[in-house]
Amino acid sequence: MSTLLTYISVNEGKIKRSSLEVLSRCNELAVQNGFKSIALVIDADPSPVAEQLKQYGADEIYTIQNPIFKNHLNAPLLRALSTVVQQIKPSVVAFASTEGSKDILGALAANLEAASLADVSEFELTETGVKAKRPVMASKIISAVQAEGSPVVLTVRSGSYDVVEKESAATVEVIPFEFSDDQLKTTLKEIIGAAGDKIDLSEAETVIAAGRGVKDEEGRKLVDELASVLNAAIGASRALTEAGVYDPSLQIGQTGKVVSPQLYIGIGISGAIQHVAGMANSKVIVAINKDPDAPIFEIADYGIVGDLYKILPPFIEELKKVKSN
Amino acid sequence: MKFYVCIKQVPDVNAPLQIKDGQLIQDADRNILNAYDASAVEEALVMKEAHGGEIEVVLIGPEKAKETIRKALAMGADSGSHLLTTGDENLDSFSYAKILANFFKGKEYKFILCGKQSQDTDAGLTGTMLAELLSLPYATNAVGLEVSGENLLVKRQGDTGQELLEVPSPGLVTCSNDMNDPRIPNLKGIMQSKRKPVDTISIADLGADDTKECVKTAVLSYEEKPARQAGKKYEGEPDEIARQVAQLLDTAENVI
Repeated sequence: MSTLLTYISVNEGKIKRSSLEVLSRCNELAVQNGFKSIALVIDADPSPVAEQLKQYGADEIYTIQNPIFKNHLNAPLLRALSTVVQQIKPSVVAFASTEGSKDILGALAANLEAASLADVSEFELTETGVKAKRPVMASKIISAVQAEGSPVVLTVRSGSYDVVEKESAATVEVIPFEFSDDQLKTTLKEIIGAAGDKIDLSEAETVIAAGRGVKDEEGRKLVDELASVLNAAIGASRALTEAGVYDPSLQIGQTGKVVSPQLYIGIGISGAIQHVAGMANSKVIVAINKDPDAPIFEIADYGIVGDLYKILPPFIEELKKVKSN
Repeated sequence: MKFYVCIKQVPDVNAPLQIKDGQLIQDADRNILNAYDASAVEEALVMKEAHGGEIEVVLIGPEKAKETIRKALAMGADSGSHLLTTGDENLDSFSYAKILANFFKGKEYKFILCGKQSQDTDAGLTGTMLAELLSLPYATNAVGLEVSGENLLVKRQGDTGQELLEVPSPGLVTCSNDMNDPRIPNLKGIMQSKRKPVDTISIADLGADDTKECVKTAVLSYEEKPARQAGKKYEGEPDEIARQVAQLLDTAENVI
């Protein structure tokens, strides 16, 4: 029987929601096509993750365990993926689009001599491969693409599909895998500034994005306060991450992360296309900017023209009231 | 240290675009050096200035794309190789990588630098495909590079934090535009670029015919993204606006 393989991204023992979105899509395609949906966890400690996964409808769960997977490193991950793919010969290998999967997608495709599609927003199976849509030209244009052969390896944008919970009686199969440190050519020296327990930007229901208009400590404090009232993740435009005002991992846009929250609030963001490329799929967009001609207002559902330093204090108070009711 | 930098000419995403019968219509005069590749060239120049060495840029593209090689030479690269296409080949990422891999076979180098993706398609596949085809250790999404003996110390932007990796030579690194601000060529650079050597090789001579069989993906058509409608604009008294919008986000949108 043909299979669809979903790689499950794990961060500090927690499954990334974007992976569950991809798994849910693969489950659906498997049912439609009479295929089997397999979820794959590659981690230093995959068992608890495999248990959690039983809530999400995969037909089978495969795990690979090795201490080398404590941190992301492309060489062992590639080797592990290639081992699994050669063993189960899936029609599709699907990943959530993350910096981790982007790091290996091309190399895995070349290794398997497989067709690959990066960062798709929709995909379906054809007789001979996969048909998909992917945003191009800074997400201004959608291209319809096809990939031929088996497997097709692909990554999916976060927010493209809903997570469907479905209890499954999937068994967990452990795939043997050996890898020792001395096989590593590239070595990890240090991890700098991992975000820890902060809300994951690419998965947040509410995102507050700070732009050039946020000029000083006072502005940052207002952004923090708004985020804490709404239990939101904080992101930033490239101008502010480059200036070192916000951590580089918080950059939203073509170079940084793609977000698709229920609510996006842009604070002092003008709406350059490179930024819009990373947030245009947000459900509700609120923009606060003092320039009435800022391009962000062309896509904002609620465009507030004004000085953020004057708007945010009463806005935060009003939101607190609404929340407490 | 010899660096190769793979560069690409791409349409400027800021230029006006049109779609006609599912095809993307662009003004060829608005083609530019891919911003991520420009950062890779810049970083190679910085390393050369500090440690000496040589930089060769490699580009796959039609005749017109030679101007982009000249741009990189004007920035300060020493030489270029133009892997010439007719423009009708419909190459995908894997066939680009195969052609580049054939070009690099037998060549001596310390590191190959690439942009992490091209700004028109944002696929970001070719770099790591090339690394795999050449069996090179690699790192992607670099935001900082430093020479360390024969190796490169790469600061990579990961999902949550940054990773400091040591990549041995020969190796490959794909670069983010968050790494630096690429220099704008000055007049002297532009004049010198005209005398720098550019080698032109037809992709047919690099096994492009064989790569036809490698083309596994194709673009079927393009469509405009459904435009978002601008909503309501609020101007005036901050307290009143704050109250109205907060209420609507709660009652009308149900997102609070």
